[in-house]
Amino acid sequence: MNALRAEARLLLRSGRNLLALVLLLVLSCAAVWVGIAKIENQRATIERVEREQARDLASVEDANAGPEGDAGYNAYYAFMLTQDPPPALAFAAIGQRDLQPFVLRVRALGLQGQLYDSETYNPELALPGVFDWAFVLIYLLPLVVIALGHDLVTGERETGRLRLLLSLAGEGLWLRRIALRYGAVMAAVGLPLVVGGIIMAAPAAGVAVMLAGAALYCAFWFGLAMLVGGTMRSSTTAAAGMIGCWIVLTLVLPALANAAIARQVPVAKGIDLTLAQRENVHRGWDIPKEETFERFFADHPEWQGKQEFEGRFHWKWYYAMHQAGDASVAGDVAEYRASLARREELTRVLGFVLPGVGTMNLVHRMADTDIAGQLAYQDSIADYHTDLRTFYYPYLFEDKYFTRADFAAIPRYSPRAGTGSVALGPLLALALAALLVVAAGALRMRRISGHSR
Amino acid sequence: MSAATLIAREEWRLLARNRAGLLATALLVLLVLVASFTSLERRSAIEADRERYQASTDHDFDAQPDRHPHRMVHYGQFVFRPVAPLAFFDAGVDSFTGNTIFLEGHRQNSANFAEARQSSLLLRFGQLTPAFVLQTLAPLLLIFLGFASVAREKERSTLRLMLAQGISGKSLLFGKFLGQGVLALLIGLPAFTVLVVFAATGSTGWGTVALMIAAYSAWLLLWAFLSVLVSALAQKPRDALAVLIGLWMVIVILLPRALPQAASAQTELATKIESEIALHRDLLEIGDSHDPEDPYFNDFRDKVLAQYGVDTVEDLPVDYTGLVSIEGEKLTTAIHADSAQRQAALETEQNAFVHRFSVLSPLIAIRQLSMALAGSDPTAHLDFLDQAEAFRYDFVQQLNRMQADLLPEVEGDDPRISAENWKEIPRFSYQSSDRLDRSDRLVWPFAVLLGWLAVIAVAAPFAARRIGRMGQ
Amino acid sequence: MMTEPHIQPAVEIAQLHHRYGADPVLRGLDLILQPGEIYALMGGNGAGKSTTLAALLGFISPESGTVQVCGIDPVADPRAARAQMAYVPENVSLYEHLTARENISYFLALSDSRRGSDAIEAALTDVGLASSAWDKRLSGFSKGMRQKVAIALALARDVPVLLLDEPTSGLDPRAVLEFNRLLDSARKRRVAVLMVTHDLVSAVDIADRIGFLIAGRIEEEREAQASGSRFDLNALHDRYTHAERAA
Repeated sequence: MNALRAEARLLLRSGRNLLALVLLLVLSCAAVWVGIAKIENQRATIERVEREQARDLASVEDANAGPEGDAGYNAYYAFMLTQDPPPALAFAAIGQRDLQPFVLRVRALGLQGQLYDSETYNPELALPGVFDWAFVLIYLLPLVVIALGHDLVTGERETGRLRLLLSLAGEGLWLRRIALRYGAVMAAVGLPLVVGGIIMAAPAAGVAVMLAGAALYCAFWFGLAMLVGGTMRSSTTAAAGMIGCWIVLTLVLPALANAAIARQVPVAKGIDLTLAQRENVHRGWDIPKEETFERFFADHPEWQGKQEFEGRFHWKWYYAMHQAGDASVAGDVAEYRASLARREELTRVLGFVLPGVGTMNLVHRMADTDIAGQLAYQDSIADYHTDLRTFYYPYLFEDKYFTRADFAAIPRYSPRAGTGSVALGPLLALALAALLVVAAGALRMRRISGHSR
Repeated sequence: MSAATLIAREEWRLLARNRAGLLATALLVLLVLVASFTSLERRSAIEADRERYQASTDHDFDAQPDRHPHRMVHYGQFVFRPVAPLAFFDAGVDSFTGNTIFLEGHRQNSANFAEARQSSLLLRFGQLTPAFVLQTLAPLLLIFLGFASVAREKERSTLRLMLAQGISGKSLLFGKFLGQGVLALLIGLPAFTVLVVFAATGSTGWGTVALMIAAYSAWLLLWAFLSVLVSALAQKPRDALAVLIGLWMVIVILLPRALPQAASAQTELATKIESEIALHRDLLEIGDSHDPEDPYFNDFRDKVLAQYGVDTVEDLPVDYTGLVSIEGEKLTTAIHADSAQRQAALETEQNAFVHRFSVLSPLIAIRQLSMALAGSDPTAHLDFLDQAEAFRYDFVQQLNRMQADLLPEVEGDDPRISAENWKEIPRFSYQSSDRLDRSDRLVWPFAVLLGWLAVIAVAAPFAARRIGRMGQ
Repeated sequence: MMTEPHIQPAVEIAQLHHRYGADPVLRGLDLILQPGEIYALMGGNGAGKSTTLAALLGFISPESGTVQVCGIDPVADPRAARAQMAYVPENVSLYEHLTARENISYFLALSDSRRGSDAIEAALTDVGLASSAWDKRLSGFSKGMRQKVAIALALARDVPVLLLDEPTSGLDPRAVLEFNRLLDSARKRRVAVLMVTHDLVSAVDIADRIGFLIAGRIEEEREAQASGSRFDLNALHDRYTHAERAA
């Protein structure tokens, strides 16, 4: 019987270890299942909304498009759907997709008054955070590693087996035992991910990156188990010490850091820009129309000279006013986005130090379900909004009727391409952290001798 | 001095001489204080911001020039949700709910700019408030202080020694309960002091604070007693530690996260778009004011004409469009209220599903209590939405009424009424409801916490008998 | 047992010095053990008994002096040296959740031993463990039964050197007798046995030589007499208690 097989039997015959591994496997499967259900649900929701939207648009078309149709009315009443279908990898890391809208309707009015609308969600359900594979990986896997690894040495010493073991085997003993546990934990957490990836037809490279993140994070915790387990004298203190590390690394420091980041980078600009946009749009009614057009022509010189109209109201002025309102807050928008990006960036930097945060950044960037993904969706909405309003301008400025054929030509939103990417920085930082801790742990284990005083 | 107090005193002496235990306790106390102060400061910063915004938008509203009243209906008002005073202690769902709504005529906008949508995923690791420390971390500390309390005596055979000296299993266990229970309350003390000081400054009611302290005392005692009980039933300290950490993981980390998934799968909420489309459809079913042939609005017109005793709309002494706006607003608001109520009922159903499981995971009970008492629970948010919607209806109708009454006196093709009128429109002021008003919400979670304590109390004599038998 | 200088000694320790910090433990220990010889190393607490075992097993690097096991230096090549030795620690508890047979098979796998299940059964029979207990988990075993499993493991490895740390502590007199019979059969298979013990009575019954380790060095050595009672128990007892007091 070879030594590794013997170790495997030893590991799996222990009720406690087996329980921990099976629990991890079950939770990991459940998390993947929940994630897939959530993604399927979001897809179904998008389809449902698309059907509703099609019916709604048809009634707008009936009411406003025709031989003498008015593009101004049509643009006012035709809400256009944008949708952000879940990326294939989102099943493993739902991230912010439970809070951020994944369907949003916009019309040719000022974008800034529409872009930040919330989706309905139940805040109390969102409060504890999502239960997905990333959660199992970041929070629960370390606990299983602690259960399997805290007494590697102390357990043998306490039962008097340590000297016997060392008299029989060389250094290979710890390597085999740790490698086996590592393999078992990785299998329990990795297999469900791979199966989920196959079911969801997720890109293999993305799954591989997530697995790599998991492998490094898992290695970090095993390294810590070697370090702490090899230093402490009793299994109980080793367990307490490791749980202490877990609390500090995954609960206390991230919460402290979040408070610090929230304080450091305020995001009130979001409110400022909405208020300013409203003010500017409504001021448009009270200032000379030339001023509004002038502001509008700065961005759309092609319509210069076509601003004249009779009477008090013309849709071209109305939409120009909304566009001018958006343009007037461009600076605020940039600042607001910069503050969100800054928070994301600080979190990324924090991930260089805290492996749990680093892993979180890595898997969610890969899944494209973080703030960056949401900002990319907003960008694509903004691009689409530009297409939409510039589509209407010829009808408005050239006083063309808006026919059913024109209605059919309204640009439709096509979902953005996923921006999921390998966060190389966090990956390398994670690798470095894992390497350092494993090396330190290995050194500690090397110094374990059968004789101690 | 009774045997039990002697044993309790031993527990305290042991902690006093246990450097790691003292350090962990000191760290937790420090964390409570840091959390209190940063959270307090954060709350006042947010509150100051919102007050400033509210004042400035209110001022902007007054400063609008002469206008057609309907334009003011769409200029609308921004309202900001004030942060409840005790929200510093437990931020509850505050970070997950939007805190500002744009209120305008015949549109119900969402509450926007929720902190969670503007934060990185880091927020999901938990927010540093005293409630987070007490709910999540304090149980772990209590486990570490208590897991060995009885099992240690068993392992070192000191248990036999004690029993041989005539101490009963019952008084031993009682002593351990006493010792660890007092420690649990001591651990809660810094947070309780913060609450009491807060109440003493008049920032919040004594009743609320007293209930809050009672709730957290029950929660902390629960974990202290549970640790002792498991320790008494376990063979070795290590087994007790494993069981307790496992319980903590399931009760505090796993179930609170997994249950909401089940709840949201069971009861699905409609998206905002679907609600809007449905609303629009329902509205068209009643009538379309733009359609000259619409039966509903034709009826309405006839009624108005009859009421004023005139034959045509042009003869009316009031602005007919204004009257239609009033009627339309009434209709949309009723339909919206209906749909909002349905949505709220669905959310309540989801939450009730989760709350039912607080029997298994008392964390849900303490969280519910704590949020409700702090005024940061979904009910408080819904209350804000209700008040904002009622306020919206009132000021929009007031503007519509101005249009109906004042517009006929104004000449010209660009009729405007005086800006002076805007000052008559009320400003939003949120009336925070008394937390104790709806105390029925507090009964069930309190019952759950006390129920857990009762179960432990029932199991204790059994554990005591088992300990007693070890000496034979 | 006669010493035969022309064959290689099983264990050879010469002028061994070792200290922990400033604390000298071994101060010029000399010890030679021939194949087929049973040596009882006696000494009080802190005399250096377990350091001697640690040196043989290659757990420590001695300050000076040489250690050889079957001609191999355990400091230079602990793996090769350990392959020549079977070690039975004091009060060892093997894996509670494995059966007696599984425990032995596991530890044999650790030492890369190719010995099969026949050897395991033979060893379990040799130590006198009832065959009904072979496939029971150790968690239900008495102290004596556990000791038997540990010794069976040592026997199953079939190596030339056996190191025993307090092998008879906690055994009842009958078990000690059985144990001595086992050692005798090992001796016949020319296994060299080094036992570290407090138990003078058991040592007198079975040892070929008894050495007194006092303050890190063997102060006195007695050889068994070929005829009559093997050792003068009273004299040894005096010597032993004296050694204890000196330590």
